[in-house]
Amino acid sequence: MSKEENKLSWRRLDNSAKIFPISAGKKYSTVFRLSVVLKEVVNPKILEQAVNVALEKYKSFKVRMKPGFFWYYFEENNKKPIIEKEKAYPCKYIEPKSNNNYLFKVTYFDKKINIDIFHSLTDGGSGTIFFREIIYTYLELLHPEVFDEKERQIRKIEYDTEDSYIKNYDKKAKGNASTKKAYILKGKKISLGAVSAIHEIIDLKALKEECEKQNATVTQYLSAVLIYAIYKQNYEKNISNKPIKLCIPVNLKKYFQSKTMSNFFSYITLEAEIKKDKLDTFEKILEFVKSDFKQKLTEKEIIKTMSANVKLGNNPFIKIVPLVIKKALVRLSYIEIRKYTTITFSNIGRIGIIGKYRNYIDYFLMLIAPEPVEKIKCSGCTFENNMVFTFTSILKDNSIEKEFYNFLTEKGIKIKIESNGVLNDISTKN
Amino acid sequence: MIYPQKISAKKSDFIIKISIFVSFLIALILLIINKSVTPKIPWAALANSGIIYIWVTVLYAINKNVNIAGHVLVQTIAISLLTVYIDYRIGFKAWSLAIAIPIVIIIANLTMLILTIVSHRKYIRYAIYQLIIVLFSMLPVIFISKKLVTDPTLGEIATIISIFNLLLTLLISAKDVKEAIVRKFHL
Repeated sequence: MSKEENKLSWRRLDNSAKIFPISAGKKYSTVFRLSVVLKEVVNPKILEQAVNVALEKYKSFKVRMKPGFFWYYFEENNKKPIIEKEKAYPCKYIEPKSNNNYLFKVTYFDKKINIDIFHSLTDGGSGTIFFREIIYTYLELLHPEVFDEKERQIRKIEYDTEDSYIKNYDKKAKGNASTKKAYILKGKKISLGAVSAIHEIIDLKALKEECEKQNATVTQYLSAVLIYAIYKQNYEKNISNKPIKLCIPVNLKKYFQSKTMSNFFSYITLEAEIKKDKLDTFEKILEFVKSDFKQKLTEKEIIKTMSANVKLGNNPFIKIVPLVIKKALVRLSYIEIRKYTTITFSNIGRIGIIGKYRNYIDYFLMLIAPEPVEKIKCSGCTFENNMVFTFTSILKDNSIEKEFYNFLTEKGIKIKIESNGVLNDISTKN
Repeated sequence: MIYPQKISAKKSDFIIKISIFVSFLIALILLIINKSVTPKIPWAALANSGIIYIWVTVLYAINKNVNIAGHVLVQTIAISLLTVYIDYRIGFKAWSLAIAIPIVIIIANLTMLILTIVSHRKYIRYAIYQLIIVLFSMLPVIFISKKLVTDPTLGEIATIISIFNLLLTLLISAKDVKEAIVRKFHL
């Protein structure tokens, strides 16, 4: 190691982050994307300036990843990130060399700015904080006559990079993981490594009214619609006794005091026993979802899941295994682990934008990378009166997306569709 | 529109199916010509195994989403060196220069051409490798000019195919090629 490299600061990966670089690759990118659709065409030069300014404020993103003997670690990155026009499919594996070894990639297209983030770096919640900083700075640089950066800085909260998992986990908590394998979505995959992105831009007011009628939260209601769409369009056509298992990431900052910009999330897994519990109508599925949420979305249950994962990462026997061997073992075991989830739905909720900045934004998008086993992944985010529900898929058949759309529109909820055109338009008959 | 225009899954499937059908047709025609014109020399089998090799490589690239151009380049150089070595060890009749290397070059160029047609949006990833393959494809010209080969036919065909390949890919991906050259060779 050169003297210059020695001077660079470094930090450990948080407990969740440790697993991602070991298991990730071209097939399993573990990348998520946040996008903002602005009301005017993006200026690339200003965007580049904005990213560099934001990086100086959020140093936890100004890093590259290096392999240690036992674990990967983050090291300060003094190069500048490369900002490019969007060309590739969303959430693809970020080739370190393609962006001066940064673990995120900012791209733009027409009125849209994207940030693809490798999950080791942070989770959706903290990713949003950094992305918002880029957007605020971009708008301030573009319209200096309208915005005053100093005014915004007064309201800024200080963040750190602590491993909040280690600080908050319960050493005595017992694991609660289900031992049942999940129903895996069937169907042919899209060729050429393409990824389909379909965004259903839902009228939030109408959706909330429908949720209120059903006495459910937005996440519960959409989870039920998703399970129902899978049941109607995929499960029913293939004979299976396995449950449809829906993984829902949970932001732990809602449960614990934390200002970390690192990962701090856990998850709950809804286990819909379609055959055993005869969940063959939407009403029955919704009742099941509400009751499973009530049972699993409690601080006690969340601590159990989180603690089990922390204990695994802290296990002294796992710690002392060299990284090369860890990689091989984790990749082998992940072939099995991935069979325990049918689909993931990550809802990061409302993206809060302050004051006049709102006038320049149309809506936000969130996307997560599909994988060879979990062929469809879903995500959601809200801005003003738009709730954008996104399907990222590697399946040729888009009937689940279509069923989801038809179900909501039949309830009188207005939906606008945007997509990257890989699959057929779902809002017309085809 | 919030995304750059992407080739639809239906279209890309159609292109692959048509290309496989055309390859099959070419293989069949070669076999018929071989049987009826020169039945004693089984050259069509060699050509058809080349076609199979191309498709194995292309389908691998598509399914694994790897930068296959790099692999094609490495394989082209490695197989060429290997054939020269074998030729040298068994008495150097120059078949490696007259037959083997030109065939390897033809296959490499056709593989790159198919990859460019079915996924030209990714051309930027292939551009530099493509240029090196074209440079490597000029080797038969050197062999012919230095009179290292007695029968220059295959060498000439290989050179013509590689020039045609370069022109066609430039035509298909002119914008991307320009961007790749500017990025890689900026001062």
